[in-house]
Amino acid sequence: MKMNFNHPFHLVDYSPWPLTGAIGVMVLVSGMVKWFHNFNMNLLILGYFIVILTMYQWWRDICREGTYQGKHTILVTKGLRWGMILFIVSEIFFFVSFFWPFFHKKLPPNIESGAMWPPTNITPFNPFQIPLLNTIILISSGVSFTWAHRAIMKNNNSQMTQGLFITIILGIYFTILQAYEYFEAPFTIADKIWGSTFFMATGFRGLHVNIGTLLLKICQTRHLNTHFSSNHLFSLEAAAWYWHFVDVVWLFLYISIYWWGN
Amino acid sequence: MASLCRQIVRGNAFKSVLLSTARRGYADKMMPDPLEHATGMERKELLAMQAGNDDPFNMKVLKKAAGTRDNPTLVPSCFDARIVGCICEEHATAVTWLWLHKDHPRRCECGHWYKLIEKQPV
Repeated sequence: MKMNFNHPFHLVDYSPWPLTGAIGVMVLVSGMVKWFHNFNMNLLILGYFIVILTMYQWWRDICREGTYQGKHTILVTKGLRWGMILFIVSEIFFFVSFFWPFFHKKLPPNIESGAMWPPTNITPFNPFQIPLLNTIILISSGVSFTWAHRAIMKNNNSQMTQGLFITIILGIYFTILQAYEYFEAPFTIADKIWGSTFFMATGFRGLHVNIGTLLLKICQTRHLNTHFSSNHLFSLEAAAWYWHFVDVVWLFLYISIYWWGN
Repeated sequence: MASLCRQIVRGNAFKSVLLSTARRGYADKMMPDPLEHATGMERKELLAMQAGNDDPFNMKVLKKAAGTRDNPTLVPSCFDARIVGCICEEHATAVTWLWLHKDHPRRCECGHWYKLIEKQPV
């Protein structure tokens, strides 16, 4: 077959997923409004269904293009890297917006919150119990992920499997502990500025841990199907960047909200 | 009975220490050659780089030759024509673009000659 191109770019094929994704997101947010106003989740569930179906098929197509069609040349992966970097930068600013109200209310002695922090009648968590354990779990998961990454770089598929497995288990363990902590919490999201800032920041971070665990799980599934090699592992690296980002956000949360803000 | 059990346990424990991890089937599964894992353009690029060509798609700026009619700058292309951007002089603030066709060496307005040469696609 005559090769009629000589360039490193990936000229993508027509794909229905941007359209179904847009429809899905539209249905999702409309469904959320319907849920808030009518206490009816039907449209929301339909929205989730369309979005998840789109996500699955879109990423499946990208895995096929990259792994089975070899479309991801060095230049293409450079573009993917920039995409992930910019995405994480936007995530950083997303979390800045949740730390902002916390510092705004914590730093000056605010009259609305009883001129003290934590506000009057709030019993915060002891930072040296579950939150400290969570810190240790997350840092350990960073270590085991680095082990997995080093293993695949050295072409060692078995140790990659083990390291990734441990990382996923630690991620799930973290989520379970945080859920337990939420059940045990002596305050709610309706408890003044403390409850609002605390649950907004830790809740969104918990959601990001779930997303990170999902990314790791996808990497594990792809790895068990031998999609990765020492020169074809960008999605693993993207998951690693994301995981470490979530890890660093936790450290900031732990230091400023759980410990210093206690 | 107890001693028999102890013997069995001890014997097996000793055996597992003696056997190498490889023989027990616990050896790490290694990927022999990641190049064999790659396919398509990704693989071709890796092969070109392995062969010492760090610019398989001719994306980098060409080093100019003397640029006379007899010694033009050779522009590789796997097509019948290619667009050339001539940096006429070192401090030029604009690039002069020109179409270069096969078998037709062409002279930029600054006087530099270019010639298209055939190249196999990656």
